[in-house]
Amino acid sequence: MKEIIFAGFGGQGVLTGGLIIAYMAANKDLNAVWMPAYGPTMRGGKANCVVKFAETSDERVGSPVMEQADILIAMNEPALDYLSFCKPGATVIANSSSVRSDYPFPEGTQVVFADCLGLARQVGNDKGQNLVAAAAAIKTCGLFDPDYAVATMCQFFEEKGKGKFNDLNVKAMQAGFDAV
Amino acid sequence: MPVKKLPEKLKANAFCPGCGHGTILRLIAEAVEELELNDNKCLVLGVGCSCNGNGMLGGDDFQCAHGRAAAVAVGMKRFRPGMCVFTYQGDGDAGVIGLAETLNAAYRNEKITVFVVNNTNFGMTGGQMSWTTLPGQKTTTSVRGRDCSVTGAPIHLPELIATQFDVAYAARASVHDVKHITQAKKMVLNALQAQMNEEGYSIVEFLSSCPTNWHLSPIDSNKFIAEQVLAAYPVGEFKSRKGKEGQA
Amino acid sequence: MAKKLWKGNEAVAEAAIRGGCNFFAGYPITPSTEVLEYLSWRMPQVDRVFIQAENEIASINMVSGASACGARALTATSGPGGSLKVEGMSYAARNSIPYVLLNVQRWGTGLGALESGQTDYFKEVKGGGHGDFKNIVYTPASVQELADVAYEAWDVAEKYRVGVTILTEAYLGQMMEEVEMPPFKDPVPRDWGIDGTGRFGLGKHSVMMRGPGGMALQGKVYAQIRAEMQRWEEYGLEDAEYVLVAFGLPGRVCMDAVKRMRSAGVKAGMIRPKLVWPFPEDAFKRVNPQVKGFASIESTDFGMLVEDVALCAKKYGFHVPVYCYAHGKGVPGVSKVTDFYHSMENGDVKEAF
Repeated sequence: MKEIIFAGFGGQGVLTGGLIIAYMAANKDLNAVWMPAYGPTMRGGKANCVVKFAETSDERVGSPVMEQADILIAMNEPALDYLSFCKPGATVIANSSSVRSDYPFPEGTQVVFADCLGLARQVGNDKGQNLVAAAAAIKTCGLFDPDYAVATMCQFFEEKGKGKFNDLNVKAMQAGFDAV
Repeated sequence: MPVKKLPEKLKANAFCPGCGHGTILRLIAEAVEELELNDNKCLVLGVGCSCNGNGMLGGDDFQCAHGRAAAVAVGMKRFRPGMCVFTYQGDGDAGVIGLAETLNAAYRNEKITVFVVNNTNFGMTGGQMSWTTLPGQKTTTSVRGRDCSVTGAPIHLPELIATQFDVAYAARASVHDVKHITQAKKMVLNALQAQMNEEGYSIVEFLSSCPTNWHLSPIDSNKFIAEQVLAAYPVGEFKSRKGKEGQA
Repeated sequence: MAKKLWKGNEAVAEAAIRGGCNFFAGYPITPSTEVLEYLSWRMPQVDRVFIQAENEIASINMVSGASACGARALTATSGPGGSLKVEGMSYAARNSIPYVLLNVQRWGTGLGALESGQTDYFKEVKGGGHGDFKNIVYTPASVQELADVAYEAWDVAEKYRVGVTILTEAYLGQMMEEVEMPPFKDPVPRDWGIDGTGRFGLGKHSVMMRGPGGMALQGKVYAQIRAEMQRWEEYGLEDAEYVLVAFGLPGRVCMDAVKRMRSAGVKAGMIRPKLVWPFPEDAFKRVNPQVKGFASIESTDFGMLVEDVALCAKKYGFHVPVYCYAHGKGVPGVSKVTDFYHSMENGDVKEAF
């Protein structure tokens, strides 16, 4: 079982970013649950989602709520509040455009910085910072094969009728892979 | 003198002597028969004296919660658009507790017909003030006469609907004398035809006597309508069917 | 058919359609609004009736009217909207109208909050309106189970001629999980219903048509439902020291917690009611006679489910404490459940009954 918290501000694409990871797991016939932050937070301000997925086809996701995350993808500094829901030694993908480099992480935390916004802009995909971050997490933690991840992400957007942006989205993911 | 035949399906009524409900239900039964709707209609009943209309027309009918008849009728009509659906409610049911349901159905121009019996009080519960009670009229909850500065003024449902919403037909009738009963019958026919021709929402309010709670004889009750109620509640069409203006 | 990720509120709407739902009336309210939104385009697409009504009172009455005419009618709401429905639910019961009410619970009293909760338990299970009537109340714990019960709901409602409530939670409505969506179903035509001819009306089996004593005879129907709809999921009851009882998402979390405790050698047991009316009393017959106690784990403020747990414990002769962990809003996590279990073991919490 993998538990991932994807958190940031509304507009940083954290809900979609988490959903794409859940989609990658489900597409491999692995039991997956995506739980968006609910309540007033969905009306703006802070946003987060939890993704839990099985690592074998027999495994089932039990509790669907935030418990003990393996990975925290923090698109801004307030997102690091969720460190209290992370396992000791969890991996944090920190968006360096919004998280200071000397943030006092708990001892043992594996921290990987990536300039998600900067890299997304560099490839001409300002809205793609969530994909940069997702790709960084996928590669750092070996969640999925990068080629599979890219192809499945494209499929996800095609199903939503947004396939025309896939060239740019592939570039954003590639930037995320290259950054870590 | 020609004698009008009793509608075949009409059952005996259980209303107080001199009450207008019996006449109104007979008019509706006649209209249903003439429009050949006996096998294609549902009577949707409100709560109050109108409840006594249960079973009176024969065939399908449905007893609703107080005030909710228009909503029930909408559910029926949207699911069975070919069926004639009309409510039968008192003024308290349609114009007080059910004002939201009545107005919202009219607002959406739902293809239902609403028949409202206005006897200026809550009859079934023993004659309390209604939104239709005349200024100064005594009821069990306005014992010194209705003081409109405190209670609000009489509500005019068909006028309200005709002026605010895009409906097919809105009228007020009375059943206190033969001339008005004849006119009321035409209004009932218009309202049902408006529905079956898919013109839209139709409403007819009937001024009806309530000898029991008015503490008047049946004859004096009809006089009361002629002399006082008509002055407050004018009879006529407030929204005529397109191309058929002034028919009733 | 392949599995696909579905949001709870959309899965339940689609499964309802496939189960024959052909009439919907509702009013927007968080966190059930996606049901209304989804059906607003999907129902016309399959040539079925959708009405955005003026309020919840009108919605339930539209549902009553449509169902009286033969529709498989649905309404959906949350919290405060549910309070407005209860008048119509009582009238529907009196008229033996089958229908489905989806309550995507939000937490709290009055306006409450948009957070998940289970604070409508008493309202949905203990009647929630004037008179003495029951709805069948499903409490699914996954998006698949949610879709499955919506698919089945009208078959059950029409069989017994009662209302069916699908009692879910904000989080279950919002979360996404893979679902195998069932195929479109052709419902068995009813032998009653208003069609304008007056031939069938509400039918001879309706409470109204049974005469003045009609409602009293309904007791037989309720007894039949109690016997035929005992449904639960269980774990480790035969040798459990303490048995947790929880439904919906807390039930799912508890099952996870119990399995983890078992793997650590703790003899925990679990009953997850799949329906809370009728309550799965039969599950209590399977509990270890030497059990030391029961506990309800629930997202209420003061404990609601615990009362039914205590009644069943008494009925089946367990003279042991019945505890309650009332989590309040949200869904308790595995660690909260495990901590509570250990505090029962250690005698650190006081029993509710």
